[in-house]
Amino acid sequence: MSPLRRFLRTPEAVAGAILLGALAAMALSASLLFPGDPQAIAGPALLPPFQDWSLPLGTDRLGRDVLAELFHGARTSLAVGLAAAAAALAIGAVVGTLAGFADGLVDEVLMRVTDAFQTVPSFLLALAFVSVVGPSLGIVVIAIALGTWTGPARVARAEVLSIRERDYVANARAIGMHPLEIAFREVLPNALPPVLAMSSVIVAAAILTEAALSFLGLGDPNRVTWGGMIAEGRTVLRTAPFLSIVPGIALVLTVLGVYLAGEGIVETTAVKRGLS
Amino acid sequence: MSLLAVSNLTKNYRRTGKPVAAVDDVSFTIEPGETLALAGPSGSGKSTIARLVLRLIEPDAGRIEFEGSDFLVLRGAALRARRARLQMVFQDPLAAFNPRATVARVLDDPLRIHGIASRAERPRRIAALLERVGLAADLAPRAIHEISGGQRQRVAIARAIATKPSLIVLDEAVSALDVSVRGQILDLLLDLQRQDKIAYLFISHDLGVVRAVAHRVILLNAGRIAESGDARAVIDAPRSAIGRALVAAAPKLNRAKT
Ligand SMILES: Nc1ncnc2c1ncn2[C@@H]1O[C@H](COP(=O)(O)OP(=O)(O)O)[C@@H](O)[C@H]1O
Ligand SMILES: [Mg+2]
Repeated sequence: MSPLRRFLRTPEAVAGAILLGALAAMALSASLLFPGDPQAIAGPALLPPFQDWSLPLGTDRLGRDVLAELFHGARTSLAVGLAAAAAALAIGAVVGTLAGFADGLVDEVLMRVTDAFQTVPSFLLALAFVSVVGPSLGIVVIAIALGTWTGPARVARAEVLSIRERDYVANARAIGMHPLEIAFREVLPNALPPVLAMSSVIVAAAILTEAALSFLGLGDPNRVTWGGMIAEGRTVLRTAPFLSIVPGIALVLTVLGVYLAGEGIVETTAVKRGLS
Repeated sequence: MSLLAVSNLTKNYRRTGKPVAAVDDVSFTIEPGETLALAGPSGSGKSTIARLVLRLIEPDAGRIEFEGSDFLVLRGAALRARRARLQMVFQDPLAAFNPRATVARVLDDPLRIHGIASRAERPRRIAALLERVGLAADLAPRAIHEISGGQRQRVAIARAIATKPSLIVLDEAVSALDVSVRGQILDLLLDLQRQDKIAYLFISHDLGVVRAVAHRVILLNAGRIAESGDARAVIDAPRSAIGRALVAAAPKLNRAKT
């Protein structure tokens, strides 16, 4: 059975893929369906959902269109989640490969640095970094990546330690290949699968961290974020709970979707590798 | 002057505390164009000697002189450049190549690394190498895992001769192949030796093969040289205990003699 077909036969994986597809569709269509500034005032303040069909999810404390904010927030969540996870995986893969491939001092130093980053809770690290450097989308991405690259680095290192004993690495040395070329061209690509298998967890964590930072007011102030919407809604939680609940549900479904789809991909490809 | 002169080579491994002498005070020479076989039971140190000679691992003691100069002092770029002259073919040709590699890439590497041919010239050189080892040039774009074991070992040999080495270390290079394919690969190796004067350090546990291809043989036992000399003389009348045991354990050899 092909991995795709096996994926499609796993209900959790399909549910995850549908959720992710919806999120991606929201992110991609945000500026088509809701052109203009989503933070502009669109109607009366605190309009409840399902009252006015031109503003289906109602408006917030300042009269902004909640649905438009939700769509534009999907964009931020997805962009930050993917960019931070990509950065964390890239840093982790490179550091782990260098540490695993170079023995002795280089390995020692790199793993000590990894330890140091790992002992600081990643959210505190992100919080401290954004507080010092200032909130913008790029900084938030870097802040999240700083706290999450250590896991991929450890996995990459362990994989590289086993791969570097293989004959083809000895063969590459025997033909006189430069150690850096061996590390990044021969070893790294073969060490990637278990590292990439971590992406779903990392993307999900990155989306949550971004939301948490925005909730604390440390997100990019020029962009709508779900975390920011939840924080906004909190001030009127008793009178208009939907303002916090709607982005909260979006966040939960997104993280769930990323996780389920990611696990589905890992499961179906792992089974394939186990059989071959 | 010998092509390769190994003296008092020693390598210890520490296995759960107590050291194991994988190679113990081994000395030998190889002349240009000669085939020296290393034979011995499993674990006798054959592969360790191969890896030491190739500087894939470092010895605890001993000297290696290659093409008249001290091979063990070389480091970094100087060592990498020198590696062009000393190549290796592994036992399992599938494990010996990056699982993502294509035939072309495997042959492109040595040509590129040692500046043997310009980028534009390399496809032609790769085709010539393939032809040299009896393969069709249109095999180049194929993935390594798609071709047969015999073809793969031919590609390994093509890669080894790409840099025009004076010595090739063959560690059980034909042991994993079918009998019919094995004969073809041995013929190819003998042809290349005749044409290019390449010397072989030929590692095998199969004394029948050793007798057929080697000029001289060294019998190893537990990391030490038990016996050495002319390949046919040693195998036809072994003097050491391990030599007699190895000959007795090679049924085809006995049948051929009687
Ligand atoms: N990397 C290693 N670590 C520990 N012991 C090793 C290692 N490589 C080889 N040995 C030991 O060295 C001895 C010689 O091994 P090897 O050279 O592979 O023998 P052969 O190729 O003749 O079968 C064996 O006892 C083996 O267990
Ligand atoms: Mg061996």
